Amino acid sequence: MNKPKVIILRGTGTNCDIETLTSFKYVGAEPELVHINQLLSGARKVLDYSIMAFPGGFSYGDDISAGKIFALKMSRLNADFEKFIKTKRPVIGICNGFQILVKTGFLPENKANAQVSTLYNNDCGHFLARWEKFRINKSSPCIFTKGLPDEIDLPIAHGEGKFMIEDKKIMADLLGRELHAITYADNPNGSMHDIAGITNAAGTCFGLMPHPERNFFAHQRPDRPAGAREAVSVGYQFFSNAVEYVKG
Amino acid sequence: MTDPMSNFTTLNAKQLAGLDSACGWSLNALELAEAQRYFKKAGREPERGELETLAQTWSEHCKHKTFSGPVSFKAGGKTKKYKNLFKETIVKATRTLNKKWCLSVFTDNAGIVEFGNKGKWGLAFKAETHNHPCAVEPYGGAETGVGGVIRDILGVGLGAKPVLNTDTFCFGFPDTKMKMPKNSHPPERIFRGVVEGVRDYGNRMGIPTAAGGIYFDDGYCLNPLVYVGCAGLIPVDKIDKKVHSGDLIVSIGGRTGRDGIHGATFSSANIDEETTTSAVQIGHAINEKKTLDVIMRARDLNLYNAVTDCGAGGFSSAIGELGSETGARVHLDAARLKDTRIEPWEIWVSESQERMILAVPQAKLKKLAAILDAESCEYCVLGNFPGDGRLLVTHGETSVVDLPMAFLHGGVPNFEKPAVQRVIKINSKTPAKPAKSYGHILKNLLAHPNICSRHSVITQYDHEVQGGTVIKPLQGRYGDGPGDAAVIWPQAATLDLADFAGFAVGHGFNPALGKIDPYQMALQSIDEAIRNLLCTGAEISRTAIMDNFCAASPKDPRVMGDLVLAAEGCHDGAIAYGAPFISGKDSFYNQARDAEGREYPIPISLLISATAPVEDVRKAITMDFKEAGNPVYLAGVCGRGMGGSVYNDMTGPGNNHITPLDMKAAVRLYTTLLIAIKKGWVAAAHDVSQGGLAVTLAEMAFSGGLGAQLDLAGAAKEKGLSALELLFGESPARLALEVVKEHETGFLKLVKGLPVKEIGHVTEEPALLAGDSGNNFFREDIHQLKTRWKRELI
Repeated sequence: MNKPKVIILRGTGTNCDIETLTSFKYVGAEPELVHINQLLSGARKVLDYSIMAFPGGFSYGDDISAGKIFALKMSRLNADFEKFIKTKRPVIGICNGFQILVKTGFLPENKANAQVSTLYNNDCGHFLARWEKFRINKSSPCIFTKGLPDEIDLPIAHGEGKFMIEDKKIMADLLGRELHAITYADNPNGSMHDIAGITNAAGTCFGLMPHPERNFFAHQRPDRPAGAREAVSVGYQFFSNAVEYVKG
Repeated sequence: MTDPMSNFTTLNAKQLAGLDSACGWSLNALELAEAQRYFKKAGREPERGELETLAQTWSEHCKHKTFSGPVSFKAGGKTKKYKNLFKETIVKATRTLNKKWCLSVFTDNAGIVEFGNKGKWGLAFKAETHNHPCAVEPYGGAETGVGGVIRDILGVGLGAKPVLNTDTFCFGFPDTKMKMPKNSHPPERIFRGVVEGVRDYGNRMGIPTAAGGIYFDDGYCLNPLVYVGCAGLIPVDKIDKKVHSGDLIVSIGGRTGRDGIHGATFSSANIDEETTTSAVQIGHAINEKKTLDVIMRARDLNLYNAVTDCGAGGFSSAIGELGSETGARVHLDAARLKDTRIEPWEIWVSESQERMILAVPQAKLKKLAAILDAESCEYCVLGNFPGDGRLLVTHGETSVVDLPMAFLHGGVPNFEKPAVQRVIKINSKTPAKPAKSYGHILKNLLAHPNICSRHSVITQYDHEVQGGTVIKPLQGRYGDGPGDAAVIWPQAATLDLADFAGFAVGHGFNPALGKIDPYQMALQSIDEAIRNLLCTGAEISRTAIMDNFCAASPKDPRVMGDLVLAAEGCHDGAIAYGAPFISGKDSFYNQARDAEGREYPIPISLLISATAPVEDVRKAITMDFKEAGNPVYLAGVCGRGMGGSVYNDMTGPGNNHITPLDMKAAVRLYTTLLIAIKKGWVAAAHDVSQGGLAVTLAEMAFSGGLGAQLDLAGAAKEKGLSALELLFGESPARLALEVVKEHETGFLKLVKGLPVKEIGHVTEEPALLAGDSGNNFFREDIHQLKTRWKRELI
């Protein structure tokens, strides 16, 4: 089968695009870096791709709030994005990418695509980059986290990662349907219900604060356990899951 | 009002000095006279823009005239003359070593060495200081310092991709008792501001800040030091650049404004109440990220012939440098401005940030413009490089500068500076047995600001962006152990996931030694930097180093004496270790008046940054104990003396003897140890530095969550060494190793005849036990030790 085409959507200030690209390449996909300006000018079309990734970074400086300007830029093309998600093509937003998915209203999923949650300043008041332990929600429909162990290590690197939903009903619905695919074991930022990443009901649109592309290879781990012979680490699974899903 | 330049050629020396001070040029009498001589001969009065251009181009910041000028050094009744101190020490070492893997040294914005084993890549490395701006405006100063050194890497050759940022800071103690003069920031405020600036700029640039250090000494209360470094990868066929006659001058990135007027000249002045913050530039990281993205794409499409950054002196020095052979025609009206209330000469010298100058062939402008537009990056065409060697700058119909390049770059006069060796009294009496227990001292040392954990700073930096920080600043079982050096796997630059070549970056810095012996400080800083690289398993025979000197006013012969001794140390150290200098920078006038109005200079400070290749990043090692039962070895000889130690800082003056570094023995030792590390026989390695052996072993233990039982009787040591010197002395060229039990026999065979001695073994029990033939020094719980060490510095 042909390699699935991945659109890695970037804008001014995106900075994890290359390692996201190499990660998708490693799992057998055909990724391409596309600037949002290329979509807006019509030089590239979202619907020509089978997987979409929003990498980390500081899109447009995270001015106003993280991911907000990028989300506004996307709004002109919302019909394409909606169709992409509705046709259950995998979408992953990592860190700033998650912030973008939240600010566009694609996550948490709702009919109006309205922003119903936010990722707010960490409780500590500043950017935080360190390794954390995460719990994988085995009951979640998320396709990206399938087959992962109950507990995994990933690095975080964000200043605005505190996940919040004001409307209790929406939160209850999200928890009830197990859409919180990944949670912090030791909450570093004050997120409600320790939520680190959420998915849509189909499990195909997924946003998370930690960086699976930074724990993709065994040699990226800080503990460098003696005797480790595996080439890849847990982050690999997030990317290969998406490719496997598309291949069916 | 008459134009103060209208009678420049008729002013006397006093009037010239007055004009210089009023305009903030920091030109000396000799330079003012030279400028006057030129315009007298030319038969006209200068434009302000011309004198501004000379002030920028001839500034200490741009020309490094102190270090590369003549010096007469007096020591022990003898006088030694240097024509060019820099060339006769640092550069000389590099020339003597003549390493073929050095691809570009001392000529471009950064030094470049070979990278990887495919002959495809070069590694560019550069470190700068941004001290004066950080003293005045810590946040902005640090931001623009980071931005500036990144642009050096973007502007080296035809542009390198930055893959690592480094930073080393020196501040007064956060709880200093010193009375601060009016209008100066207390050390803690400077510390916070600088960290926030580095964080906000480096993180937005998507470059990992993963190596460096923080050093506290009250000598830095009024003049903090902020060293910022950057390393990048460049294809070897993109190292040469040459402006062609007829190329267009294209400025890309940020706009030009009134921020940062006179940054270059202000760095040659002592800071006082009158110093204005408008000399500090305003940073905007996202503009620089755009220029980075544009340059990487345009470089690979060969859309320009040369590039350089707008740093100190702004357009004047960037265009002046690029056009030094071709000359330049510049129309300042074409510049994009932040602020329209700006004089033409201000546009010319403004140091507004995030601007790069490209020399673009006319035929390629359209293609370049398309990329600039695609990345939403602003640009303007300022003129061209005509090929007549003349610098002609205009604004509308007005001439701003009309000077021959030869005068601009060759005209700077220089004069001999006197230097003398300081007389320091050395106390080498055996230190008295302390009143407090050794365990108590160890805990206090671990909590000392110069030793304790830097996690509260490091975790604010995105030190793992680009997914290549393989050996991290925080490492070990809990991801919080203090690493010796960073190892970078630049996959985001090579895009080659099957190539595991990487490089290590480490530092050596110890001004406490410099206060006693600047020559030994230089040697031991080189040693420490190389030892740090060794601890990760880097190929130290291929080490390249950089010098960054910071000193007080060079008008003080004692300051010049410190500089001469340290520079000689740099030369001798580089030769002994076979490690050439590839780049360097210096910063003078780091002194200010204290609250009582007395001159308050910083101690002589030399940062050695070192890099060496790592053949296979998967085999690099960390500093934490890995497995109970493994033997622990000490490599190197414990020497006498407490000189320069953190212990002395805690307890006050006492024994200040420094063990001189035996470089030959160190090289022999390290070469053998590297073989053992590469064979996989060493599970952990950690250098013995600040706090001495006890601190090193404690850090290895608590970072691995394991204990150790140690008998230091077996350690190689100088005769008559006291327990205090053994535990907390900081003699050079030592490292502690955890050896893999099953390879111990092979290891012992390999190190036969070297001072490598077993001192105990790793234990499951989380206690650190140290003694000397039945004589118990201390028994401490590693969790308690860690609690003392892991304090929130910020």
